[in-house]
Amino acid sequence: MATNPMHQFNVYKIGPEIKINGIDLSFTNASLFMLISGIFISLFLLLGTKDRKIVPGKFQLISEMLYNFISKMISDTAGKKAKPYFSFIFSLFIFVLFCNMVGMLPYSFTVTSHIIVTLAFAMFIFIGVTILGFVIHGFKYLKIFVPSGVPMVLLPIIMIIEIISYLSRPVSLSVRLFANMMAGHTMLKVFGGFVISLGLVAGWLPLTFSVALTGLEILVAFLQAYVFAILTCIYLNDALNLHH
Amino acid sequence: MIKIISLTTLSLFILRDVYAAEAGMPQLDPTYWASQVFWLTLIFSAIYFLIAKIFVPKIKGNIDARESQIRKDINEANSLKEEADKKLKEYNKIIDEAKLEAKKLISEGRKKINEDIQSKKDQIEKDIQKETLSATKEIEKFKINSLKKINIISEEIVSDIIKDIFKEDLNKSSIKATVSEVMKERRN
Repeated sequence: MATNPMHQFNVYKIGPEIKINGIDLSFTNASLFMLISGIFISLFLLLGTKDRKIVPGKFQLISEMLYNFISKMISDTAGKKAKPYFSFIFSLFIFVLFCNMVGMLPYSFTVTSHIIVTLAFAMFIFIGVTILGFVIHGFKYLKIFVPSGVPMVLLPIIMIIEIISYLSRPVSLSVRLFANMMAGHTMLKVFGGFVISLGLVAGWLPLTFSVALTGLEILVAFLQAYVFAILTCIYLNDALNLHH
Repeated sequence: MIKIISLTTLSLFILRDVYAAEAGMPQLDPTYWASQVFWLTLIFSAIYFLIAKIFVPKIKGNIDARESQIRKDINEANSLKEEADKKLKEYNKIIDEAKLEAKKLISEGRKKINEDIQSKKDQIEKDIQKETLSATKEIEKFKINSLKKINIISEEIVSDIIKDIFKEDLNKSSIKATVSEVMKERRN
């Protein structure tokens, strides 16, 4: 059903079936759009670093602005110690941003609108940050669950809350991005369907909404990529600096 | 009114569609989860290595190069400015010195000219005095001479008159004495 707003999230395989140990690893439309995003990122950065001018061209300027933007974001939230993770945060931000933006193209697929993709990212970040915390601080890293300046009576409750909030980090991180992208694209599709079903008589109203929503969705695409990256920085900061 | 109606129909549509989709929210279908994670890992790792090994160092290099270039340019500009200031000071000093010298020269020249004028004036005054003196002397001499001549002429006239009247000569010395007496009286 073409008017089903969830239809756009369907995953189907492209090309031959690839099975390793009984696990289906076929190349799907999701993989295709990950690849397209990757190619766009590479092209963009290639254009941005092709000419190494003192006075930058358009692409060089944008890539340098992106670099400075993320560099500032990391130094603001996680401090100087987070410098070795710059490339990872940069890749994360640019990948999520490009996946979101490529998803805004009509008839395309939004990679980040799938919970499994965002959860994979979130789990990787969660596990990575936790390991990092234990490697740097040893068992003292457990102090993250014991905020300073809390009365002894409240401490057990606070600790339980802190542990729950720590463990729910990957869920909140992944669901935030996934839900935002899915909701936005569903809304766009629904309004798009209205344009057709209401026809020439009243179709202009949902069309206006559609146009406005497209602008909003582009904003959301950028914002969610930013939020994803900055939350990663904050988690990284907890592991690196441990001041709660 | 129209708004409310459209909103209700809209929400109805959404509800219907959501119900229709509930049967199969594609995100919750685990068929391709492994595939998605696999390809995501593959592609994201590739992007990460490209960015970490190639693009970030390049961008950083560019930014650093620009910063160092700008710093160099600013330093150069500062040193040039300092040099210009120094040159300006030197120039001002030279101008001041030149002004001072010019003043000195002018005052010296004025003094010399004044002295010159003074000496010339003195010389002229001296000359004038000398001339006046000699002229006075000459006048004096003239005066005496003329008196003498007047005396002689008077004596001659007197003797002539007496000769004409009395038809005889008078003693010359007595005439002389009388004339000089009369002259003296007149002069007084």
